[in-house]
Amino acid sequence: MKEYKVVVLGSGGVGKSALTVKFVSGTFMEKYDPTIEDFYRKEIEVDSAPSVLEILDTAGTEQFASMRDLYIKNGQGFVIVYSITSIQTFQDIKTMRDQIQRVKGVERIPMILVGNKSDLDSQREVSSSEGASLAQHWGCPFLETSAKSTNNVNEVFIEIVREMNSTPLRDNKGCCIIL
Amino acid sequence: MTSTRPSLMQDVDTPGPRPGPSPAATVVTPPPPPPTPTSSISPTPIPPTSSSPPPPPAPVATQQPQPSPHQQLPAAPPTPMGPPGLMEDEQRTVASVSGTVVAGAVVRAATPERLIQMCVESFTEKGLDKNQEEFVTVFFLMHQWFMTSEELAQAFIDLYPCCDETITCTMVACQHLPINRDCAIQTFKEMICQAVRYWIDKFPLHLDMDSKVTTAIRRLSSLLQAEGNYRLKELVDVSKVPSYDWMRNMSVRNTTCGKHVRKVSLVFNHLEPKELAAQLTYLEYKAFRRVHFSDYKNYAVTASLKDQPKLERSIALFNGLSQWVQCMVLSKTTPQQRADVICKFIDVSKHLRVLQNFNTLMAIVGGLSHSALARLSKTIACLPPESQKTLMDLTDLLSSNNNFSNYRKVYHQCTGFKIPILGVHLKDLISLHTALPDRVDGNLLNFRKMAQLAIILRELTRLQGQDNLPVDANMDLVNTLRLSLDLYHTEDEIYELSLAREPRGSLSSVSILPTTPTKPVVFADWLSGISPPDSDTINKHVHDMVEAVFKNYDHDKDGFISHEEFDSIAGNFPFIDSFCVLDADKDGMISKREMKTYFIRANSHALRNSFKHAFHETTYFKPTFCIHCTGLLWGLIKQGWKCKDCGINAHKHCKDLVVMECRSKGSKRTESMSNGVGPHDLTITAKRKISQRHQKRSSPSHTCQQSTQTEGVVLRRSSSLKVMNSSNNHNHHSHTHRDCTIMDGEYYEEQALLYERLLKAEEAREKLIEENSCLRSKLDLANDQISLLKSHIGNIRQNTIAFILEQMDALHMQRDTEV
Repeated sequence: MKEYKVVVLGSGGVGKSALTVKFVSGTFMEKYDPTIEDFYRKEIEVDSAPSVLEILDTAGTEQFASMRDLYIKNGQGFVIVYSITSIQTFQDIKTMRDQIQRVKGVERIPMILVGNKSDLDSQREVSSSEGASLAQHWGCPFLETSAKSTNNVNEVFIEIVREMNSTPLRDNKGCCIIL
Repeated sequence: MTSTRPSLMQDVDTPGPRPGPSPAATVVTPPPPPPTPTSSISPTPIPPTSSSPPPPPAPVATQQPQPSPHQQLPAAPPTPMGPPGLMEDEQRTVASVSGTVVAGAVVRAATPERLIQMCVESFTEKGLDKNQEEFVTVFFLMHQWFMTSEELAQAFIDLYPCCDETITCTMVACQHLPINRDCAIQTFKEMICQAVRYWIDKFPLHLDMDSKVTTAIRRLSSLLQAEGNYRLKELVDVSKVPSYDWMRNMSVRNTTCGKHVRKVSLVFNHLEPKELAAQLTYLEYKAFRRVHFSDYKNYAVTASLKDQPKLERSIALFNGLSQWVQCMVLSKTTPQQRADVICKFIDVSKHLRVLQNFNTLMAIVGGLSHSALARLSKTIACLPPESQKTLMDLTDLLSSNNNFSNYRKVYHQCTGFKIPILGVHLKDLISLHTALPDRVDGNLLNFRKMAQLAIILRELTRLQGQDNLPVDANMDLVNTLRLSLDLYHTEDEIYELSLAREPRGSLSSVSILPTTPTKPVVFADWLSGISPPDSDTINKHVHDMVEAVFKNYDHDKDGFISHEEFDSIAGNFPFIDSFCVLDADKDGMISKREMKTYFIRANSHALRNSFKHAFHETTYFKPTFCIHCTGLLWGLIKQGWKCKDCGINAHKHCKDLVVMECRSKGSKRTESMSNGVGPHDLTITAKRKISQRHQKRSSPSHTCQQSTQTEGVVLRRSSSLKVMNSSNNHNHHSHTHRDCTIMDGEYYEEQALLYERLLKAEEAREKLIEENSCLRSKLDLANDQISLLKSHIGNIRQNTIAFILEQMDALHMQRDTEV
């Protein structure tokens, strides 16, 4: 079974955790322990191939600058999340791709752009077309999701697996020296 | 760890509430509930309110599921603060499989009123019922998540007077007076007081941090006094709460650290890795222990650092350290030198691992493996293999793989003093908070969530209370280091520097990146949540650092340190200007004041704003000097590069190394006068040129004709400033001047005042030059007179001799004729 490491990035408060939690746990559950080793692991079947996803939720550590580099170094696919109710969070992620490229040292990065909180359409500040055009510029898929109503949550992770399959990130190619 | 675990697992291993006949019936209204079926795996009694509609709002024990145990326990139970809140993984798995709720969560959900009631009922007149220890601890620890401490204190007080109505005393002819020890009402009152006592004893911090709580409890105390209940009044005595000044105040100094006698080197190059690790641990611990419960809570809830200065300070320290590591490495010019610095930091990391300071370890390893350093392939080629191995091991330890499993494992094995990776535990908190709702079943408080959060928060709180810091702080070193860590760069600046040190494509394979080398990647502003330290903090840190430096380096205590000594200190602060800028009065020595002024300026301007200059190739028609190396820009055409914005000049090879901020950006007020030439640059350039001129000047009359372009600008500028000043209100000037003398440190002066001082100095200099040339011309005049007089003397002398000779001749002639 193929294993994939996915990193969820984005500013604070965009719902990275909610997205991750929804995906790994399906529903909000009673007993929940985010400190156990395989808590963020989940098996899914993508295009009839079973795969294991290990998800790294960066929530809470957005402000720790040097941890982010370590995260990116570890990841193979990147879910970049903003909130459609905050234009600021959309501005924040605009340089994400450059940053990942810088760390990874390659141009083609498996990633997906996600506009979360689509259930709050009345407070929308970022239009779907803005998101779509950034995704087009990046050459990656784009989805609007709602972690609250579990809309498109699984699709995000299915899509990122497809991305990783089509452009596998060669590890340590580029940053050929491990430091 | 192993020794403390059993107490934590108490609720799981032993039947929770004790079934059987209990005197609870005397306290609460009957009927007593049937004993809850318990087993060793699932001890949790079914909470009363889990599926029923919310209980009556009044804190009346209408329904009492908990057999209120009034066993005769020997004494108050031991401290619950001891057990670490986390379990071993396999137990955790068992717990989750069997569906057991978390330790301490005897209820799933309830209203806050109900929880308070339960809390009181967990006590007997003798103290806490041990079986309820987990619940009570979680309750007190977590209450701030859903109510303020003041509200809790008030709730206890409210409970007190209404005992008479809610509790039925079964005693015949009972007056419910304090002397009636068996009276149920008195017993309940005592339980309230015991609960308050427990709170005061175990969580003194809650009281110390919030004077309103203390006030509320004092109200209870006076209530007891009025009732004549002196025995219970003793219980709620708050006068012995220890002070937590260090937590309230960001800058309270640890006074016990002043006693060290050993002198250490403050210079990075001479600093032992072990010493550095120890001092960094001290700094880290100081920042970490100040983070308060409310900081964690607000951060988890709002995902923002707004209004949480203590947490922000701790994170700023983390980021500052990472950046300092990167800057220290990048400040070296050759790959070997850079590799040496990296090696040193790897050694520091090893010691941090021994000290079990994981947060600082993460900051340094994060800095070392940052992309700005990881791309330096030439440098890394110079690293000895064992250092590379160590770094790889440490990176592996801190890896985020498998939910930081390596770190978590090692962390739990560590006993004694340790500092956790704050980020990881913050992440856990946020994750829990996201996954579990605060309210369930209508509007009941989700107490299981509280119990789960408590596991993390309890551990963090416990670690903050550690008093076995295994290092001795050397305040001088701490102060020096702290200022180094305050320096603030953007990620971009550091990366650009990295590109300048080892350009893309020189030896590395990263050149495949499509980005052009000159196009800077503008870094995410989501880091902007962390603002650089405010100016007050910087001023204080500068002050402390300078005092520390002088204490250790000013051997003859004359208030000055020498050039060489400063240079070695400056090595700790990568990318600051060199000595000649600092030594403002050119006396070859540096005074405290010069040093303070300098560092404050460097911090507030040069380092915070942009370093980027808009350089373009320029042909100079007058001799011009490089701002970086102070050498002449050679050649006939296109001698150097000039910044369009601030007007500084540099060699082609120096322009990337210029570390001076582009200062005209934003300082508009001088732009119109000096063609966009910023005032600071002039200051510095002028000073350099002045010193050069002083050396060169042998014939004073030529000064004006020989002045360089820059010098011309200086003169122009000082005259224009004079105009500006005279247009300003003179009263105001003298007023501000007086103000600044009143303030104890000159370094608090505003930049404007510094200009003013400079201006005055320049005026004085001009006057001196004038006076000088005037004197010289007088001298010349006098010399002329002297030579005139000399020639006169010569004439006179000649005349005299001729006259004498004539006379003698005449006499001879006379004698001859006589003979």
